[in-house]
Amino acid sequence: MLKIEHLTKIYDSGVRALQDVSFEVPDGQFLVIIGLSGSGKSTLLRCINRLIEPTDGRIIWNNTDITDATDEELRQIRRKIGMIFQQFNLVRRAPVMTNVLAGRLGYTNPMWSLVNHFSAEDKRKALEKLNRVGIREKAYIRADQLSGGQQQRVGIARALMQEPELMLADEPVASLDPATSHSVMRYLELLNKEDGITILCSLHFLSLARTYADRIIALKDGRMEFDGLPQEIDDKRFKDIYGEDAVRVEIA
Amino acid sequence: MTNKVPRSSRSALRRLLLVLGIVIGVVIYAYGWTATDISLDEVQDPVRQASVQRAMRELLSPDLFTRDRENRSFFVDFAIGCPDGDLPEGRTDTGDGAYVIFTPPCADSDEIITVEGFHFPADAIARIQLYREGQQNMPFRLVKSDAADAQASDESVFDLDSDGHFRVSVKVPRGRGLSGQTHQVEIQAAVPSGWPRLSATTETVIDKMIETIFLALMATTLALPVAVVLSFVAARNLMRQITLPLGNVLVGFVLLPVGGWLGYQALGPLGQLGVRWGKDVLPGLLGGAGALAGFALVSYALGRVTLAGSAQRVRSVALNALLVAVLVFILGVLGGLGIWLGGKLQTGLLADLGNFVGTLGTLVDLIIATLAAVGGAMWLSSLGASLVAGPMRHIFSPLSNVLGAVLGALSGAILLAMTALFGTQAVLLGLLTPVVAAALGGQLAVELYYLVPGARKPKRDRTDVDQMIHTLLYALGALLAFAITAYAIDLLRAIVDERPPSRAMIDLGLFEMRTYVAKSALIGGVLGGLAAGLAGTQVAFPLGMTVYNTSRTILNALRSIEPLIMGIVFVIWVGVGPFAGVLALTLHSIASLGKLYSEQVESIDAGPIEAIQSTGANRLQTIVYAVVPQIVPPYIAFTMYRWDINVRMSTIIGFVGGGGIGFLLQQQINLLRYNQAGVAVLAIAIVVSILDYASAAIRERIV
Repeated sequence: MLKIEHLTKIYDSGVRALQDVSFEVPDGQFLVIIGLSGSGKSTLLRCINRLIEPTDGRIIWNNTDITDATDEELRQIRRKIGMIFQQFNLVRRAPVMTNVLAGRLGYTNPMWSLVNHFSAEDKRKALEKLNRVGIREKAYIRADQLSGGQQQRVGIARALMQEPELMLADEPVASLDPATSHSVMRYLELLNKEDGITILCSLHFLSLARTYADRIIALKDGRMEFDGLPQEIDDKRFKDIYGEDAVRVEIA
Repeated sequence: MTNKVPRSSRSALRRLLLVLGIVIGVVIYAYGWTATDISLDEVQDPVRQASVQRAMRELLSPDLFTRDRENRSFFVDFAIGCPDGDLPEGRTDTGDGAYVIFTPPCADSDEIITVEGFHFPADAIARIQLYREGQQNMPFRLVKSDAADAQASDESVFDLDSDGHFRVSVKVPRGRGLSGQTHQVEIQAAVPSGWPRLSATTETVIDKMIETIFLALMATTLALPVAVVLSFVAARNLMRQITLPLGNVLVGFVLLPVGGWLGYQALGPLGQLGVRWGKDVLPGLLGGAGALAGFALVSYALGRVTLAGSAQRVRSVALNALLVAVLVFILGVLGGLGIWLGGKLQTGLLADLGNFVGTLGTLVDLIIATLAAVGGAMWLSSLGASLVAGPMRHIFSPLSNVLGAVLGALSGAILLAMTALFGTQAVLLGLLTPVVAAALGGQLAVELYYLVPGARKPKRDRTDVDQMIHTLLYALGALLAFAITAYAIDLLRAIVDERPPSRAMIDLGLFEMRTYVAKSALIGGVLGGLAAGLAGTQVAFPLGMTVYNTSRTILNALRSIEPLIMGIVFVIWVGVGPFAGVLALTLHSIASLGKLYSEQVESIDAGPIEAIQSTGANRLQTIVYAVVPQIVPPYIAFTMYRWDINVRMSTIIGFVGGGGIGFLLQQQINLLRYNQAGVAVLAIAIVVSILDYASAAIRERIV
């Protein structure tokens, strides 16, 4: 169970990215966060694993207060929270295998990992995860030689190496074409249904959100604008979230 | 407002400003003209023009090659003092097919005659001398001008053309009993023989050029590791995110000297034991292997046991400490082995290798205690800071203020005592103590202001007025603290009379201490204690930015001192020679590479850092997995570029005694041997352009 309580983030520049956001996510839910660019989706996700320090409020996950954790405790918590990114954030010059193995960094002996040494068990696991996302044969190719969709699958494999209980996906398909988008979203769905991983995924497109979400949260200017089931978003709600001028774009 | 001013008067104003600007510009340049002594008289001076022509001609006629010459002598008759009666014939044959015409055919001593020779060996260098059996030969000195009062020069050597022809004016030598006799005149021709080969100058230049290139290589490689480490510390994007609660930082700071002392006391002797055993080879090898095996065994055995949270923490701390001890010991053993090997390999092909290994071993021996102290300080400090991190979170005011006051007082005292100790070394370094005190004082003033209800606001909520009050108060506090400290340690006397602080001691009961240091510590304690006490232990301290600013300041200061000036200091320390040059260029390269590298770190993509951090990786892992892969290509490029610069700089570092080709060049210039200097200049030009091209090509390929 993930509990967000009165979460507020004000950047040093004075921008109020999140204002008093509260919600709960039961284990195993596929939660999609929608909203315009700059509505605070990325900030919200990054506050959960404290890549961004929240200004106020608490985040409680499995009865641990993430916002109160020391550096050491935070690392222990982060190990169980996978994250994938809009820009994939792979180490482009490194082979796919190294990128995937990096997902184990929280678990390995720090000394050994500094010289790029991972246990045979970890390597086996990495190949297995790559196999799962369908790019087992790309393991020893440099990451920047893969297509966008393949890179995002490497990102998923990396997150899977953490054996996460929670997965944060920050606009995972925003840099991909529609067909690839669906394939990546389907992998996330699979993880959610088969492995029972709780997923928090931010998306631009309402149509994608409707297809995959158990529940949708909408942010607007850092505030919660909507929290409910996908089918509850009608034209009026849509205009509330995206503004009066918005036109629905369907993504096939 | 501006809209109300009529258009015409605005453009008039602009024109006036433009004219004013031009006038000021002219005045500046006029002053610059005078200040730099620009003078056309000097340029036109014929004497100077002649010398520059000569110098340039010789520089451009470098003494590159030489070849062996074989001396052949030709004898002709010549009468000094014309005999009565018939004048001798002008033409005299040598008997080898060559002949000489003297004009006039005979002459008195000191008279100038013209000698023309035909069919001598081609391209020879020759001289004419009076041959006297059993006595010293007397040269006919060359007269280089046709003027009537022309004087003989010191030279007697001239060149023959490719037909073996020459025509020179010479002065007939003077000597007792020469007059009135016919003498044998020897025309000595040095005939080229054998293949041309490199001249002695060229050989020396090549030798020195190799020294120069290696000097640059050494400086670059020695600077590399230091600069790489510094570049992470001096990168804003990596350091900005590091903030810790003030309490943790203070605990870590207080533990620094304690850990240093412990490391020095406990690990230092262990390292030196390693060195001793290493020198005896067998005990070293056995001891080193034993230590490693022991550590592996202990860590394996301990690793099998599953422990609860806190006990697990204790175990990893103990294992880390053991690892540090084992590493120090093994480093000592390696150093000892190096010294042993260096002793064995003193002659033969491997002598250079022996010298290298031996010096490294000695270096380890020299610095192992210091290394142990630094290692101990870092270890205990980070351990302390991370151990207290948990409990510290739950300490609130007023306890956090009391704790802050105690820790702040200790830290402030330690900080200022250390700067004071440093400051006793020289007058200008003495400035450090009041400057550091000022930083504390400024913070204290701001903290005092926070006592006003509602004054303490996070930075994002501050208005411009708040910001101004902050800055003013900080400046005021800093100024006050500076003045008080400067007065207390009598800085004025130190700076005006250039006298280091007094050496008076004060008895503190437990131990004695320099009064100067004690005073500084007291001031630091009071300022630090008050500031941290008011702030409390929970305030976020920008540790990263503090380290960043400090390291950037040091790098910038180092970079502003030219390597030539550093070279002068190092020549005093290690004597004239390439080693001094290596040290000077190393120091400058550290500063320069440190800055270039850190700018590369600052421009990397932040995405992978986020990604690696989100996996639960620690800071070091994040650097290795997210930062390093992105910076390897630019680092290689900049290292090449720096080597290129270092070669260029090492060509002149010799001018201050730093070795390399510059040393040779300067000697030759001082001796006015421009032909030889020309070789050095040519060599520099060739090597620098080759390296320039090569480094550009490599950089292009990598990036």
